[in-house]
Amino acid sequence: MRSELPDGRDALREKIIGLGETSLHKSYYPELQSRLAELERFRALLDQTYDAIFLIRAETGKLADVNASVRAYLGYSKKELLATSFADLFSPQQKAGFVELIRKKSDLPSECRQTCIASLMSRDEREIPMEITVRSVTFGGEQYVVAIARDITDRIRAERELKIKESALESSTNGILIADLTGAVMYANRSFAAMFGYGEEKAITGRNLEAFFADPTVGEKITGHLLDNHAIVQETIGLRNNGSPFHIQVSGSVVQNDAGQPLCIMLIAMDITGRFLTDQMKRETYAQLGKNIEQFAILGDHIRNPLQVIVGYAEMIDDPCAEKILEQSRRIDEIITELDRGWVESANVRQFLRKHGDDAEPECPPGGLSRTKRDCTDNHKTTGI
Amino acid sequence: MIQRSQLDLRKFVAPEFICGHGALQLAGRYARNFGMKQVLLVTDPGVRAAGWAEAVGESLTEAGISFTIFDSISVNPRSRQVMSGKDVYLSEECNGVVAVGGGSPMDCAKGIGIAGSNLRDILTFEGVDRVPVPAPPLICIPTTAGSSADVSQFAIITDEERKRKIAIVSKALVPDISLLDPEPLTTMSRQLTVDTGMDTLSHAIEAYVSNASSPMTDVHALEAIRLIHSALPAVTEEPENLNLRFSTLLASLHAGLAFSNASIGAVHALAHSLGGAYDLAHGRCTALLLEHVISANYEAAPDRYDRIGAIIGPVQAERTPPAEGVAAFRKTLGITGPLAAVGVREDAIPALAEQAYTDPCMVTNPRKLTCEDIERIYEYAFRTS
Repeated sequence: MRSELPDGRDALREKIIGLGETSLHKSYYPELQSRLAELERFRALLDQTYDAIFLIRAETGKLADVNASVRAYLGYSKKELLATSFADLFSPQQKAGFVELIRKKSDLPSECRQTCIASLMSRDEREIPMEITVRSVTFGGEQYVVAIARDITDRIRAERELKIKESALESSTNGILIADLTGAVMYANRSFAAMFGYGEEKAITGRNLEAFFADPTVGEKITGHLLDNHAIVQETIGLRNNGSPFHIQVSGSVVQNDAGQPLCIMLIAMDITGRFLTDQMKRETYAQLGKNIEQFAILGDHIRNPLQVIVGYAEMIDDPCAEKILEQSRRIDEIITELDRGWVESANVRQFLRKHGDDAEPECPPGGLSRTKRDCTDNHKTTGI
Repeated sequence: MIQRSQLDLRKFVAPEFICGHGALQLAGRYARNFGMKQVLLVTDPGVRAAGWAEAVGESLTEAGISFTIFDSISVNPRSRQVMSGKDVYLSEECNGVVAVGGGSPMDCAKGIGIAGSNLRDILTFEGVDRVPVPAPPLICIPTTAGSSADVSQFAIITDEERKRKIAIVSKALVPDISLLDPEPLTTMSRQLTVDTGMDTLSHAIEAYVSNASSPMTDVHALEAIRLIHSALPAVTEEPENLNLRFSTLLASLHAGLAFSNASIGAVHALAHSLGGAYDLAHGRCTALLLEHVISANYEAAPDRYDRIGAIIGPVQAERTPPAEGVAAFRKTLGITGPLAAVGVREDAIPALAEQAYTDPCMVTNPRKLTCEDIERIYEYAFRTS
């Protein structure tokens, strides 16, 4: 018969004498299994990362462990890698540098890390540009160096493309300016700085758009228009650093992210002072030409009237000279008629030039963003630009 | 009276142990076998002064194992001392514990081990089977013969805030190996020898009368009683006698094997309460309480107590009332009461009894004692010389 203790002490007694559910002699095995599972999970994590991770024996420079990415990048088996020195994975030109780096790192405390750019050589002799961070660690009294290498092929390509774009912006003959959505300038290229009389681009950064227009409200209007309509083409009067005005054409657009949200605005400025003066001269010339043609028409009428009188008198008189007078009068009339024809042709030519020539007026699209020059000029006048 | 049946489920857990002269020198070998590389050598100032910690340290060094000594341990080790040891264990990156000393360093070492592996405050382990993560490997080298911490599943720690001892009971506290060498016992003082010897006797008696005793534990308990009864008086006369010291060590080993599996009873429950409140030597507390608990328990296990009485009577095999026999034995060793003489106040008895009533050791006491019964035991001990 099993002996019983009164009240709830029975369960406690069972445990004390070793018969409880967890009354077990010390065993590291469950904990060992748990730690091994933890290590396997950690190993799986390391193998999933794109970074190539190397554990290097500080004393020999040989690889002690690598993650799966190393094998994927380099094409060697783990066994092959563990028989290799870390420095052997680099080109002969870089090898000596890495031997020295590992030697130096092993002398430094673990918090010191060092980053460098180098190319790993794959089994098929491809060079893979990597950013490599190394630091020393100590496990179980033995010193190691951990190297984490990140493939920077895409980064280098992106940097190169970015550099080209930057150079294109910088070398453009048009002035290019990038501002945030409040109008504060983030970037201006060389041409913009030169156009507006600034010694260097940096002097522009941080200024507001209003600083570059004769009418300080224009910058705000352009920004507002762009946020509503995303693009603009406008002629206006710019203001140089020394306060002198000049005629410019501004093309603007909003730079958006992939989600269509506005990030900043970009303006392209062209100095149109020369063209503006030429257009003005043309307009004056055409006006003068019209005046001259009208003068010729009036002059023809003024000549024809007395000539009509002369012809009348010559027809009435019987004089041998009368025929001469009539003949000369007909010649004069033919000349005036020729002048009239020329006037008509001149008017047609002027009309043609106005319609199709250098002075041709662009058509405004319905509700369009751009305006004709005359509209712009009109706007120019109404806004006082 | 407790009903026992030999068919009751029982478990017997024992650590690996090596006993004999020179066992101490095997510390390095076993530390190495357990994979220890950096050992926390837990000891106390007295043991260190006697040279035993140094001897163990030499053994570790010869085995190529580094170690850090932690000796900030008092009698009745405090929870703060355990947590300080845990901090040293972690900061020194130890992976094993070697305890050299009596019950205090060994209990403290057990506490450091579980606090370190579970990263929890030592007081949270109070109770039975509350150690989820096993402690690091533990080697115990006792320098006293009495606590049996080198083989037991108990660790007794003082909660200094509440001035009480807590019992941590778990099979996970049983050391991995114990090296039982009689030589370190030769430097014990006479008082320490008799106090720890009386602790051995109380362990053996309580295990023998425990309601969880078994044929396996009975063998060890009776052998312990026989050995300590014969060897303890003799060793006080010949403290340098290695054979006598070894007999006390064997007695402690037998008692430990018995009580670690059958558990103990009211003597220890009352001694824990007393020692926690007054910071008294544990062996002295058990010595002053043992005879009074025997009297209180006698009717619950008269045959077993009579058998004990037959062993410890003035003349072996002559039947002696066991309480009287124990009292006489105590007095021959020079241990005299009453509790009042060691600073215990009578008005503290109810609180001491209440504390003892909830001690886990009480559940295996042969008789279910009430708080009033416990108060009466304290009162007898308070007055009896």
